[in-house]
Amino acid sequence: MAGIARHLPEYMKDAFAAQGVDPETIVFAIHTDMDRSGAHADAYTAVTMDELIMITGEEIVQPTKNARRIIARYDARAIERIPIAELTDIETERLVATGRLNAAMNGEPRALLVFSIGFLGDAERVAQVIKNIKEKRAPLLDVSIDTNRFCPKCGERYPEIGRAVCPHCMNQRSITRRLLGFFQHYRANVLLIIIVMIAGSAFSVITPIVSSRMLFDDVLTIGGRYYGMLGAMVGVILLVRALNLVMNMLYSFVLAKTVPWIVFDLKMRIFEAMQRLSVGFYTSKRTGALMNRINRDATNIYWFFVDGLPYLVVNSLTFAGVITLMCIISMRLATIVIIVLPVSILMFRMLWGSFKRFHHKNFVYGAQLNSMVSDSVNGQRVIKAYAREDAEANRFASVGNKQAYVDVALNKIAFTAFPLIYLFLFLGQVLVTLIGGMMVVRGEITIGEFLTFTAYLTMLYGPLEFMSWVSIWWARCVDSAQRVFEIIDAKPDVTEPEHPAEIDAMRGCIEARGVRFEYDPATPVLKGLDLEVGAGKMLGIVGKTGAGKSTLANLIARLYDVGEGEIKIDGINVKEWPLAKLRQDIGIVSQEIYLFIGTIADNIRYAKPGAGMDDVIRAAKAAAAHEFIMRLPDGYETRVGAGGQDLSGGEKQRLSIARTILQNPKILILDEATAAMDTETEAAIQTALTALQKDRTTIAIAHRLSTLREADSLAVIEDGKVTETGTHTELMKKMGAYFKLYKLQMEGLRVINMDAEG
Amino acid sequence: MQANVQSAAKPDNYTAPELSDAIDLGLIDPSAARFGETAGGFLELTYKDKNYPRVSVRRTLPLGMPYEYLSIADEENHEIGILRKLADLDGDQRRLVEKELERRYYCPNVVEVRSVKDQLGYVYIDISIQGTGDITRRTCAIKDVNRNIRMLSDDSVILFDVDGNRYMIPSLKALSAKSRRRLEPYLF
Repeated sequence: MAGIARHLPEYMKDAFAAQGVDPETIVFAIHTDMDRSGAHADAYTAVTMDELIMITGEEIVQPTKNARRIIARYDARAIERIPIAELTDIETERLVATGRLNAAMNGEPRALLVFSIGFLGDAERVAQVIKNIKEKRAPLLDVSIDTNRFCPKCGERYPEIGRAVCPHCMNQRSITRRLLGFFQHYRANVLLIIIVMIAGSAFSVITPIVSSRMLFDDVLTIGGRYYGMLGAMVGVILLVRALNLVMNMLYSFVLAKTVPWIVFDLKMRIFEAMQRLSVGFYTSKRTGALMNRINRDATNIYWFFVDGLPYLVVNSLTFAGVITLMCIISMRLATIVIIVLPVSILMFRMLWGSFKRFHHKNFVYGAQLNSMVSDSVNGQRVIKAYAREDAEANRFASVGNKQAYVDVALNKIAFTAFPLIYLFLFLGQVLVTLIGGMMVVRGEITIGEFLTFTAYLTMLYGPLEFMSWVSIWWARCVDSAQRVFEIIDAKPDVTEPEHPAEIDAMRGCIEARGVRFEYDPATPVLKGLDLEVGAGKMLGIVGKTGAGKSTLANLIARLYDVGEGEIKIDGINVKEWPLAKLRQDIGIVSQEIYLFIGTIADNIRYAKPGAGMDDVIRAAKAAAAHEFIMRLPDGYETRVGAGGQDLSGGEKQRLSIARTILQNPKILILDEATAAMDTETEAAIQTALTALQKDRTTIAIAHRLSTLREADSLAVIEDGKVTETGTHTELMKKMGAYFKLYKLQMEGLRVINMDAEG
Repeated sequence: MQANVQSAAKPDNYTAPELSDAIDLGLIDPSAARFGETAGGFLELTYKDKNYPRVSVRRTLPLGMPYEYLSIADEENHEIGILRKLADLDGDQRRLVEKELERRYYCPNVVEVRSVKDQLGYVYIDISIQGTGDITRRTCAIKDVNRNIRMLSDDSVILFDVDGNRYMIPSLKALSAKSRRRLEPYLF
């Protein structure tokens, strides 16, 4: 069988070949960073169809000038070959900063590999490949080595695994091109903005020629071309200024008209992309942080393009124009400027670097102080109860103190370093004045030319400062753009089937076989779960917190896809069901209730937007919600959600049940639907739920066993597996986990009753 | 109605019981504990005549007191007891537990900061580290520096990289002036 040899880096092929392993037989291989004792090592692990081969040794890296990581050779220290047939129970284990790949060898548990935590995902895949081989399934053949860890171009590590973005090699040009794509619809406006800005800067470059050179040399000098025509000259100066002003106004006008639409477009694209993504995207920590940054990213891009880019164009042109004109006026004077300029640009850049860092520090301390204030305001009762007022003040003081120090450093830079740079520039100016003055005296240049030159000199300051930090700005914009594209390009984990099954109506027969699932690598939640529920029947699921009950609900509705095994509805794998049809026919009432901003009627109607008021009220009545809704002054038009009417947990739950009733699903999943309710509310909701469950396949997950009395059968989930199934009577007779749980809860109730009687 | 609390009154010299009287910490008696290593490379424990073939050692205070209050748990993660101090164990026993701790909480010391680059929202730190072996070089990428470069005291720092690896600087003063200067802007 052809292996993955073509994906293997040459140095790994050589290392295995040196140990007598034919690289062509390797089906999967990884590179980890420790030996079994936890000491640093370059460990290569390969899987062939018969063996697991582990080499420990050291990569000898060839020193290079840049960041390229070239492996010169590999010194192997130890090799171990284990026949796959001898391995059982292969699994990864997450420790704190490390992980382990464990297996049993001839019944004896063994730690096969130890690695730092970043390699856990890789080790997990080794385990998967071995399992696939043992179960005679195709091993993963398309997995390449290290390409998810190191940049193939420069060899530098990616900052984040799974985010193949190398800051060294990132193609900034293609990002710029894509970014410019956002502005495609507004090409005409953007072009107009740039033209107007260029015209504006052309007028400002002309101004010194008119107001200095022409005024002094041609109008005020005897024998000048326009000698004495002062009135006309003032008119020309005014005209140039006025045109400059008009251009600036035009620029602001076009900008104001275009920008809001570009921002709207950008946000809309991100939002639409977010809707396509699977639930998993939102729950993973990495993307959680991504989401938080979305707004800031959109703003970064927007500011660069509306503020940064036009100014970059204008400043570059002004800069080039001014320097050219300076050279035309006097090459000797221009040379002084050309020498002084790069030095000051460099000084500005260095200063901005440290300025930025101190600013960041200041910002972080500021944020810490803010959260301390909010902590202290919200926690006043606790602070007072434990008499910790002074301690809180001290805590505040320690951070405040640090911020003050940073502030001082920041001010020092602002008040000393910046003036120093300006002093340096001023010295350049003095030099120009000195030499220029001498040239005027010697008659090498005219007074008008000299004054024009000095005017141009001051016009360089703006672009100079701008150039020194625009690159930082640009880097931030590219970073933001990268993140935005990541969301736009992200592929949802749960996708619409390519050839969806043709289904008329769902009957609601559910079957789960060998279902395994994990949210994070090496932390399995479901470990081979089997279940069956007949159409129209009710299954009660019992188990401790974290046993995987809610995960099962998510998998049936395909909010996530199973890792291994399958879930079938009416004999068809859920992955083959058209997604919309599947989710329309499955209703989930969970503990986690979400009401959108809008009226109560809107929220109930969320499941069926076209539903008439009759149906909405009917659903609310069935969910025992109508009464409380009518007690609110605005009835069904009461606004709820963020900033709206506060509803209690029970009331919100009844609205969500009404929503599900209106949806009229074929399968109903009740995930601890009444867990947070008081007894009276629970009784009301229970009645509503009983009505809803009629003739529907129902999976009820509950902590309180009393709510599962109506169930046709019960299943106990422990540690990701179904350990007991049967009716209440059967399970009680079995005297297993269900019996214990039931007895415990009855005991609790008995104590309550005794207290009540006593 | 006034509640009658007289009958439940305690004598005048009554003081509430200490927490230590009411709740047992479950400390492990070091003299009754015998740690060992299985052939498969796992830590095992025989305690009060009961054998636990695969135990884990977890730090209650991983940063503040890494070698005190060590929670020993069995394969199912049920706590067997708390080892008050690693030093309570004798030589070989101590080394076995120490090795297990080092494996679980792998956190090499930073001996040199070679360069610090701020690029695209990440800070790349090129460091020389020393774990249980030779000094090696690593480039770690750190996101959210204010959260992931954490001062443990005025002089010690811990770094968390994007992969979840940890690197310790036990003493900033012990680093070279150059290393310190490179890192300084990121210390909060």
